[in-house]
Amino acid sequence: MAERKALVVDDEFHIVQVVAIKLRNNGFEVFTADNGSQAYQLACEHHPDVIITDYQMPAMTGLELIEKLRQNPSTADTPVLLLTARGFAVDPQQKETLRVAACLSKPFSPREVLHCVEEVLAQRAGV
Amino acid sequence: MGLWAGTTVLLAAAGGLCIFFPGTAAVGCLWPAAVLAAVLLGRSLWKLLKNPEILIRTEQTVDSVPLQNRDAEYRGEQEQIRKENSQLRLELQLLRRQHAWGQAVLESIRDAVLVVNEQDQVLFANPAARELLNLDSGGQPQELPDGPEPAGRLREKIQRCRNGRIRHVRHELTMDVQGQQRIFEAVLSCLDEWGTTRGGVVAVLHDISREREISQMKNEFVSHVSHELKTPLASINAYAEMLVDGEAKEPEMIRQFCSIIQSQALRLNRLIEDILNISRIESGLIKVNRSCQSMALIVRDAVEMIRSYAQEKNITVRAPAPILYDQVYVDRDMMSQAVINLLSNAVKYTPAGGTITVGLEVNEADGRLTVSVSDTGVGIPPEELGRVFEKFYRVQANNHMAKGTGLGLNLVKQIVETVHGGRVFVSSVVGQGSTFGFELPLAMTGCAAVSAGSLS
Repeated sequence: MAERKALVVDDEFHIVQVVAIKLRNNGFEVFTADNGSQAYQLACEHHPDVIITDYQMPAMTGLELIEKLRQNPSTADTPVLLLTARGFAVDPQQKETLRVAACLSKPFSPREVLHCVEEVLAQRAGV
Repeated sequence: MGLWAGTTVLLAAAGGLCIFFPGTAAVGCLWPAAVLAAVLLGRSLWKLLKNPEILIRTEQTVDSVPLQNRDAEYRGEQEQIRKENSQLRLELQLLRRQHAWGQAVLESIRDAVLVVNEQDQVLFANPAARELLNLDSGGQPQELPDGPEPAGRLREKIQRCRNGRIRHVRHELTMDVQGQQRIFEAVLSCLDEWGTTRGGVVAVLHDISREREISQMKNEFVSHVSHELKTPLASINAYAEMLVDGEAKEPEMIRQFCSIIQSQALRLNRLIEDILNISRIESGLIKVNRSCQSMALIVRDAVEMIRSYAQEKNITVRAPAPILYDQVYVDRDMMSQAVINLLSNAVKYTPAGGTITVGLEVNEADGRLTVSVSDTGVGIPPEELGRVFEKFYRVQANNHMAKGTGLGLNLVKQIVETVHGGRVFVSSVVGQGSTFGFELPLAMTGCAAVSAGSLS
């Protein structure tokens, strides 16, 4: 079985690192980015199975990144998890329109992130 | 006297009847009375003929005594009327003064005050109301116009208030004032005219734009701060959990995780301190420990603290050369915080490979010292330059460069200006860089000299 690929995006280096280590320790190949544009390029290049992105990032927010991903056929269906310190600010309708798989509030638990990623991928495999 | 004369006349009349009609039945019972009357009448006539002045005196008695009384009465009444008149004049004067005072109050207040009758005719509008609703001043009663204009929208609310017989009601109206959108709170009250409402309505419009702006700033602040607080907290929580779960296998990784937890805890602490310091300075509750300090030493320490952060971005920091007399009477920790904030801001908004130059100048003639931090960063658009020291304000164009709460520069301003009586300044050219700095008065006397030689 090919290694599962994940893309982690956050402008906070420590957050990217901790999520990446957790996923790598659990069998994922992990790509990292510290901004939306870089993340979009990596997503188009490596076609990750799942993307974990921060919501509030300079230049391009997490939601703007997802919007861009949805417009590209090669990344339109990639499940995305949104990490946010502003869980309340994500509009449910926007969340549905952009097909955000899950929202995780900061401070988050790496265990919870892994669990969520596994669940999303299992659902996709089931489909 | 009158009764006596009347009786005499009656009796005389009866006596007369008896004399002229002696044959009648009445004669039998009345004749003694006739005799008596004749006697009395005779006596009276005799008296009158003897003393004719009685008649004159009697006439005088009847008329002169009441006249004197009436005169006194009139004089009393006149006096009373004069008093009442004077009282009324005073009251009228007082009422006029009160009316003029009330009018002056209504004319002076910034809130727009408007009174309309049941036909929506303006009975009163103070200058603020006239200006806001574009009403004519004076002249004939003017009807509030209909339509989408502010006055028209207000009229609609007034009609609703009147029709619903609502005692007081609040509405929010957005109006255009000198080309700017302003939000007004309109409080409408049905006019209580001697206990009844006849359709008149009083409207008071208060500009709440500033309150709204502050409220929005507060919300943004809470949102920013919660994000800023949660970010280091997220790291602390995540790395601690990783250690608990044994995800860090090698000792080096364990050490690195512990180090991240520690640095993030410090970052959290700094942020909380910033917020608390601003709040303390603003409320005047901060304890200021002033002492004579060398500004060069404060700047040197601050540069050392920021140097590793600058190196991460490959930014060169040029520190100022030591100078001889740079004594300032300041709270060292606070002043150090101000310099660090200027330096970290410069690092944040300077692209990799840039340079930060710290300047320190003393003008002994003016008794002032100037600290400046110049960078080769992105710069600030001129239209935003005036707002950079405002609390929570972040330059929109540079938002993408770094995260922040917009508190750092405000804290510098509070420390320099509110606490130490100095002055902050900024200049910038977009694409070339910015210079932030402050001026402080030099400590003139009572300060032990700090050796400039200790600066190495």
